[in-house]
Amino acid sequence: MISFNEIVREALKSQAAAKQRTLLALIGIVIGIGSVIALVTVGEMVQLTSEQQFRQMGTNIITIQRGWGDSKEGGGNPDRPDQMITWTEAKGLAKKFPKLEAVAPYTSSWGQPLFADKSLDMPVLGVTRSFADLNKLTLAKGRFISDLDGYSFFGVLGAGAAAKLAKLGAGDPLGKTVFFKGRGFKIIGVLARAEEGGMRPFEINPGMMIPIHTSFLFKKERVINEIMARIAPNMDRRRLKSRLDQYFKMYQPDMSIQVRSAEQLINEMAKQSRLFTLLLGAIGSISLLVGGIGVMNVMLVAVSERRKEIGVRRALGAMQSDIRAQFLVESVILCLAGGLIGIALGVGAAYVLAKVNGWIFFVSGMGLALGVGVSSAIGVFFGYFPARQASRLNPILALRDE
Amino acid sequence: MALIELRGITKTYHIGDMSVEVLRGVDLTVESGELLAIMGESGGGKSTLMNIIGFLDSPSGGGYQFEGQDAGHLDDNELAHIRNQKIGFIFQQFNLLPRLNALENVMLPLVYRGVPPRQREKVAKQMLKQVGMADRMAHRPPELSGGQQQRVAIARALSGSPSLILADEPTGALDSKVSQEILDIFLELNRENKITTVMVTHDPKVGKQCRRTVRMADGHLLEV
Ligand SMILES: Nc1ncnc2c1ncn2[C@@H]1O[C@H](COP(=O)(O)OP(=O)(O)OP(=O)(O)O)[C@@H](O)[C@H]1O
Ligand SMILES: [Mg+2]
Repeated sequence: MISFNEIVREALKSQAAAKQRTLLALIGIVIGIGSVIALVTVGEMVQLTSEQQFRQMGTNIITIQRGWGDSKEGGGNPDRPDQMITWTEAKGLAKKFPKLEAVAPYTSSWGQPLFADKSLDMPVLGVTRSFADLNKLTLAKGRFISDLDGYSFFGVLGAGAAAKLAKLGAGDPLGKTVFFKGRGFKIIGVLARAEEGGMRPFEINPGMMIPIHTSFLFKKERVINEIMARIAPNMDRRRLKSRLDQYFKMYQPDMSIQVRSAEQLINEMAKQSRLFTLLLGAIGSISLLVGGIGVMNVMLVAVSERRKEIGVRRALGAMQSDIRAQFLVESVILCLAGGLIGIALGVGAAYVLAKVNGWIFFVSGMGLALGVGVSSAIGVFFGYFPARQASRLNPILALRDE
Repeated sequence: MALIELRGITKTYHIGDMSVEVLRGVDLTVESGELLAIMGESGGGKSTLMNIIGFLDSPSGGGYQFEGQDAGHLDDNELAHIRNQKIGFIFQQFNLLPRLNALENVMLPLVYRGVPPRQREKVAKQMLKQVGMADRMAHRPPELSGGQQQRVAIARALSGSPSLILADEPTGALDSKVSQEILDIFLELNRENKITTVMVTHDPKVGKQCRRTVRMADGHLLEV
């Protein structure tokens, strides 16, 4: 005969088993909700961060390149000057388009400038005064290139380039000389670090900026890579594009130009990130489905374990709908508990990802509402069948249950 | 007007091709305020009859009038409603919910009646006092003896102030001393509060103390 101690131990064990079952079911929900929240949040953080990068410079920035069609890739071939925008065209632009508030054509080339006989791998940009204004550049030291610098051999270092120089023992780079293509450039300014991304040329931080005319000395033709411009806020962008097309076709009838605006890029990015969010959300949903099935299993077991209780409640006057509601509530509470843990973990994961990747940490109310909503919905959806089964038990048979 | 009027009640169970005729025409009249004991051999259909009287089950045939109203053709919700309003069940195995304490168990019928919590608690405390369990209200069933659990179960049955108490072998799981204590509660409730009680029992000593006893035999009820 089984001893009393053993009966107690059995009871404890089966209780522990029930807890384990509950916990296992919850893990599915926790992982599911957690990943949905993390993924949705990451998607939104990425979007917000990149939008912020654009916004910082203003969304009314456009860039103009010569190239084929409207493809995003490939402006003209830099080795084919006939496929590039010329200085003459760029200079004429400001006159022809008074509504462009600022125009900054620039050249870009890679080289091995030398400092103290050591080679520095860095880009060299030929710029005008307005380049600093358009890119919202701030100086750490000295001054920026001025339009009066003409053909002088002055250089302004990006923050990254300055750091590189400092490593080579330049100390304060101001007044030091960097050699590029055999000519010595006197450093007249150092920039503060510029935010990367958005419309800003990536060459700014690691590069050296020199007067645009000086940069032409190293080229066969006076051609530029790209024109950056700021447009008036209320400007009709489509009309501007066709007028720009016309303007550049006067010089090069065979080539079209590409105009990219910050706004257009933001919209494209938003679209992409929405897709990303949806895709990741779908992956999370699969774990939610698994979790939901787990909850359904736990509830089915609970119903069969509590047949007697159901019978008693029915005898005391509970209607089928009362019993159904009771089990539905239990299922929803179970899922909500899992959902809340999942939200906490998901937000935590998103926070870590944001710190690691330098994104702006941000949790949207919509994401949280989604988490709570989805977990309740799963509770209702996967709890309904067990709850209905409970409510339809024959009270007499349920009461007879041991 | 009789509280319960059963006329030719039959109940047949079908298991596969087999059919078992458990009740073969039961006639019974119970007046308000009566204390009735039903006796009879095991498997004779006493519990089946109790379930029909208590609206947990419906008969295969015959007529049932409760408080002068025809009780046939009630749907599931109406049956639940009558059980909640009119019937107090007491079981051999007490059937308290083990996760609720005594007070919460007693309040349960009132929960399904939609009585607000404060009033629920007031009524439940009063009932527990009446069955001598005022000092055990926070105890859960596993922490109570069999006799104590049955007292709580009686309090639960009384909490809805039902027209009828149905007790199916209420002392069947208790030793003779405790059985007598529980029976005394039923006798007192019937004597003092005029609570109509129908009780199934196997114990002749219990049967003897009830004013009226009937015997279930061969699917019929016979007055003793
Ligand atoms: N749901 C059911 N399906 C089939 N047969 C049933 C069902 N419920 C009861 N019976 C049968 O009906 C008969 C009477 O059962 P019931 O429980 O009413 O007897 P009882 O008089 O209460 O017996 P006891 O004194 O042992 O409690 C039994 O033969 C039983 O097997
Ligand atoms: Mg029985």
